[in-house]
Amino acid sequence: MREVTETLSDSQLVQRCRAGDPEAWNELVERFSRYVYAICVQGFRLREQDAEDVFQEVFTRVYSRLDTLRDDSAVRPWIAQLTRRLCLDTLASSARVQPAEEVLAPSTEQTLDEIDEAFAVREAVTTLSESCQEVLDRFFARDESYRTISAGLDLPAGTIASRISRCLVQLRERLEGRNEGSTPSSE
Amino acid sequence: MVARSSGDSWRDAAGVGAQATALLERITPLVRADAEAWEDALAELHATTGGDLEKRNDALERKLDDAAAVPILIADTGADAASLAELAADRGEGAYRADAAVAAVLAAAGARAASHLVRVNLGVREGDARLARARRSADAAADAAARALDAAG
Repeated sequence: MREVTETLSDSQLVQRCRAGDPEAWNELVERFSRYVYAICVQGFRLREQDAEDVFQEVFTRVYSRLDTLRDDSAVRPWIAQLTRRLCLDTLASSARVQPAEEVLAPSTEQTLDEIDEAFAVREAVTTLSESCQEVLDRFFARDESYRTISAGLDLPAGTIASRISRCLVQLRERLEGRNEGSTPSSE
Repeated sequence: MVARSSGDSWRDAAGVGAQATALLERITPLVRADAEAWEDALAELHATTGGDLEKRNDALERKLDDAAAVPILIADTGADAASLAELAADRGEGAYRADAAVAAVLAAAGARAASHLVRVNLGVREGDARLARARRSADAAADAAARALDAAG
């Protein structure tokens, strides 16, 4: 069943969640859990306990307020917005001095943008062919040499760099397609 | 640079540029790690204070093993850089192909130097698998550089 839900687009997944499909809810949490956690820990540098509290609260609110989301395809930025607000509230309540908005340093904004970008790329990579996913993962994530990739995939060594380039062209096209639209549309 | 300058005429240019950036990020910390690993090994070599000679020899061997691992990775990365530069020398914008060929030659020199470090400085003997790997990388880089020079004309 999971195999079915993990191929759904964000928009389709939200529709299934609204329809009360428990498997879709599991997939939604699975799909966005690392994203939410990255915002808490890398973006706002929350302590582990605070990050877990925010994590719980984010998905509780997603569950109870999903009907308020106006554009189903914008679920990611909506979750990001929820997470950011809750992180700011947590920081403000622990500092007990400044208003929440002032807690957000420019470097945090930059980190949040980088997290967004990284997850967007990761998501776009999953839409590529298996062979492209494999070659990009081996080169950029596992730092494998062309020779190692060539041996692992049984491909001529001299073609690896070209293959990676062609896959990157496809990835860019997917990302450009994805960036047309998708802004938060609730609350 | 060659890839950036070839964006209009070569569809894969941006992808080649991205790979070049990734290789640069891969090699930069290796250069520092190489120096540190070698200094550690030297310090162990010059350590003269007491202790069991056999244990000290074992410790030195471990340090040399660690020190050998880094130039092997440098040689591998040099081979990749030369291969990528060969692609740019073959397909890149005409005015910049010579630069790509020069980059391939420099990468091949780096790979050869790293392979040399594995053999001479670290006491690795003939027949050692690590030395063979470093040499394969250096040879592959040299071949790529030769082809890059041919392609650039």
